[in-house]
Amino acid sequence: MALMRWKNRDLYDPWADFKQLQNEINELFDIDRVPTSKGLYDRSIALPVDVIETANDIIVTCELPGLTEKDMDVSITSNVLTIKGTKKDEREEKKGKFYRKESWSGSFQRTISLPGSVNAENIKADFNNGILTITLPKKEEAKPKQITVNVK
Amino acid sequence: METKQITGQDRRVCPSCCDIYEDDGKIILKMEMPGVEKENLDIQIDDSLLKIHAGKNTLEYKDAKYLVREIRDADYHHEFTIDDTIDRNKIDAKLNQGILTLTLHIKESEKPRKINVVAK
Repeated sequence: MALMRWKNRDLYDPWADFKQLQNEINELFDIDRVPTSKGLYDRSIALPVDVIETANDIIVTCELPGLTEKDMDVSITSNVLTIKGTKKDEREEKKGKFYRKESWSGSFQRTISLPGSVNAENIKADFNNGILTITLPKKEEAKPKQITVNVK
Repeated sequence: METKQITGQDRRVCPSCCDIYEDDGKIILKMEMPGVEKENLDIQIDDSLLKIHAGKNTLEYKDAKYLVREIRDADYHHEFTIDDTIDRNKIDAKLNQGILTLTLHIKESEKPRKINVVAK
């Protein structure tokens, strides 16, 4: 069993379950399906992203339906990752009438501060079925290390 | 790193962003479904009900910690009622980079016709 630093503050919180329930109920009313325009750059739309930390990598996924790799621009400066691009309206002709319009077009940008330093040389970015997956390998010093204790 | 793809019957569903417009005698439904493969797409038409169910592939990482989680973990599901003007046998579906485009053709008999006035 690995020895870990105590950080789970909610473990003995009697209200933790209630808080979780409250969050879940709040989430039910959150279904607006349209990306919000919150974030650092409030002029552009913030796309939904996931940031996942595994033992060796930090994985950032982003939903970009209908885009091609030419429309997006991913850059990294030290440990700040920026995903930006433009989503074009695919309809060239503006004739015909709309019954419903929920999709959006325009420019977007997300800036993510990564939790640790990453190896900038080995970053992989895949785009498949409208989902962009960026795998950022952690630097050796940021990886968890196993320390064996010798019994004397 | 082990990954697992989850998509199943008892998963939560939510509708996706959908555009519906008319273009040159066709009704076009455009839905944004990122993460959907062609194999996981199920489009059914039952009399006047058009059902679209799309299983979304979500990669589940082992021993992973989510620092930010904004992408909804749910399948896409839509149900539309279509009227008699739609030709049931002429529905095309196309999936391209997470965008599903359904083209519903309007029956020839329902399209507006020009009536020639013959002067005697």
